[in-house]
Amino acid sequence: MTRTTYRWAALFLALPLAVYIAFVVFPLLSSFYYSLTDWNGFDVNYNFVGLANFEKMFSDRLFSNAIGNTLIWTVAAIIVPTGGGLALALVLHERGIFANIYKSMFYLPIALALAVIGQIWLWIYQPNWGLINATLRNIGLENLAQAWLAKPQFALLAVILAWSWQQTALSMVIFLAGLTAIPQELIEAAHIDGANYFQRVRRVIVPLLAPASVVVIALAVINSLKSFDVLYVMTRGGPFHSSDNLAMFMYNESFQKYNMGYGSAIAVVLFLITLAVIAVYFRQSAQVERLYD
Amino acid sequence: MSIKRLLFGLTVFAVVLLIGGAVVMAQQQDISIVHYYSSALGQETMTALFDTFEAAHPEYKIVDNSAGHEDFKTQILVTIAGNNPPDIFSYWAGARTQFVVDADRLLPLTDFWDENSLDDIIPAGVKPAAVYNGEIYNIPMNVHIVGFFYNPKVMEAAGITEMPTTWDGFIAMCDTLKAAGVNPIALGSLNRWPAQFWFDYMVSYTAGADYRQALMAGEAAYNDPEVATAMETWKQLTDAGYFVPDANAYDWTDAADQVANGDAAMTLMGTFITGYWDGNGLVAGEDYDFFPFPVINPDLPVVTHGTVDGWAVPASAANPDGAKALLLHMLTPESQATWALGQGALAAVNNVDTSIYSPVMKKAADYLAQVQFLSGYDLSTTPPMAEGGLNMFAQFMNDPSGYMAYLDEAQAVADDVFGS
Repeated sequence: MTRTTYRWAALFLALPLAVYIAFVVFPLLSSFYYSLTDWNGFDVNYNFVGLANFEKMFSDRLFSNAIGNTLIWTVAAIIVPTGGGLALALVLHERGIFANIYKSMFYLPIALALAVIGQIWLWIYQPNWGLINATLRNIGLENLAQAWLAKPQFALLAVILAWSWQQTALSMVIFLAGLTAIPQELIEAAHIDGANYFQRVRRVIVPLLAPASVVVIALAVINSLKSFDVLYVMTRGGPFHSSDNLAMFMYNESFQKYNMGYGSAIAVVLFLITLAVIAVYFRQSAQVERLYD
Repeated sequence: MSIKRLLFGLTVFAVVLLIGGAVVMAQQQDISIVHYYSSALGQETMTALFDTFEAAHPEYKIVDNSAGHEDFKTQILVTIAGNNPPDIFSYWAGARTQFVVDADRLLPLTDFWDENSLDDIIPAGVKPAAVYNGEIYNIPMNVHIVGFFYNPKVMEAAGITEMPTTWDGFIAMCDTLKAAGVNPIALGSLNRWPAQFWFDYMVSYTAGADYRQALMAGEAAYNDPEVATAMETWKQLTDAGYFVPDANAYDWTDAADQVANGDAAMTLMGTFITGYWDGNGLVAGEDYDFFPFPVINPDLPVVTHGTVDGWAVPASAANPDGAKALLLHMLTPESQATWALGQGALAAVNNVDTSIYSPVMKKAADYLAQVQFLSGYDLSTTPPMAEGGLNMFAQFMNDPSGYMAYLDEAQAVADDVFGS
């Protein structure tokens, strides 16, 4: 590149970089700063408290509760959308016109905002006339009908299920793309060697889907860590914190209890966890790429 | 026409628009306002008040940035903290206002109060809602009181004609309703605050209003025997099966619907429920009626819990004079009557003719005039404490048997908030 093109490149990059610094880097650094204060998010005066906010987490039952729920969500995110997406992709791969219709149907939830998905599932879980309870009553299982979102033992799982509905669609699309990349000869060769369908899936298709799987799992985990909207619409972390994840807990502390300093400390923890996941993702995807080069 | 000419024409047009706009702006002053009356009824009535204000004051123009009720709570604090506040905003009197006052973000309105002799029109019982640290910061707009709203047809069908004034009478009525196959009490505690009214009355009527105020201020403990007695009294009602099951699954409007549909007999709610019912075509006195929370211990003072909605002016408001002009307009008897009727609220001033009220709201107004007014739970204690308390009420409605453990947890929050 010549000097002039460098200048032009710098000029064109300056604007997005400025936007990035103003809206990502600066807020990030300021929440690091506020995590060391007792700011209530509102007062002009606040004190520097060192690491007190981080110490508080160790004894805060609500924090360990939120960490536990985040962990449950992450594990569920690895299992449900990945398994469901893989199963759908295998069933719908190369099955002609009807499969395409089904693919579009399963893909549709991606077109919806998570807030809308939350609202739809609110109706599905509605205790009196919601789809689930109405179905249970119609098939004679009214004993199982529950106020799903009002019970602490069900609320979190109910929200995760709603969230997985969209995440599974995303996984399915990535796996479908991965499947088209698998050379047909390999599968045929396995077929001729006498491998049945499940052996072909286990020994040939799934290993060859490794690059897609890394993307699917990483996206699911990252999306689970940042999930807030669907939870906000459906339970707001309730009843009584039973469905709090870290993001919701952070919001509650910052904006409901006006502990902006503590809320920022939670945000820092959430950021570090997400950063660790992303680091693992980059390492894995680099390895997978090397494997297939 | 060439592109150049078209562009030139458009530019001239834009410049003319800009200058023209600036001239109009110079003649008119904006008053930016944020309020939480964003439901169809509230917004309609509020807009009507803005229209009469603008007609009387052509020099001002109202810029309405109203927000949804739950979003409002966060949004207003963010705009104030970001030094980008409206000129005036609606706010709940009590702990929420205290919080903003303590951060030095509000304009004192004591001079405004005195200059306009507001002592003459705002009842002495309501005035405490306006005063913080000795100064006026919140100008009352309306009052809501909390009591039982019931379905007279359901009561009649169960053979109940007299509403109870004693606790024994209340229990007997619930038993009669239950025997008739009706759920006595609807409660929609999905958003938690509707359950707080039960706690308010239980504490005020078993331990007294003074004890309750001490508890709200962090001067008494949640695991005191007084609060345990209040919870035990509440638990007797849940144990007897008087509440519609799964209160935490429903919003307060669901509970209102259950009463309106006859699925439940009554609900403990603020007078704003009348606005909701009127909006759904119910007729006051025929489809719904009111009775105050029955006294539990007759030796304790009779109170009513409720809400005062008011207006606050940010310290850094760009147009405080406009805000004050609007405040005066809001307090005229005509505006107050329009607002009370449109919103299903009780007027904050005493010069509104009570004959404008529906028979149900008149009962509420007469009751308010006789008893001591106390703010509801989440407006009486600091926001972080209220968060812990509301949580406790939701826990209680899910499983009342563990209330002692919930009280200990609430006290742990109180220790944290008030300093042990």
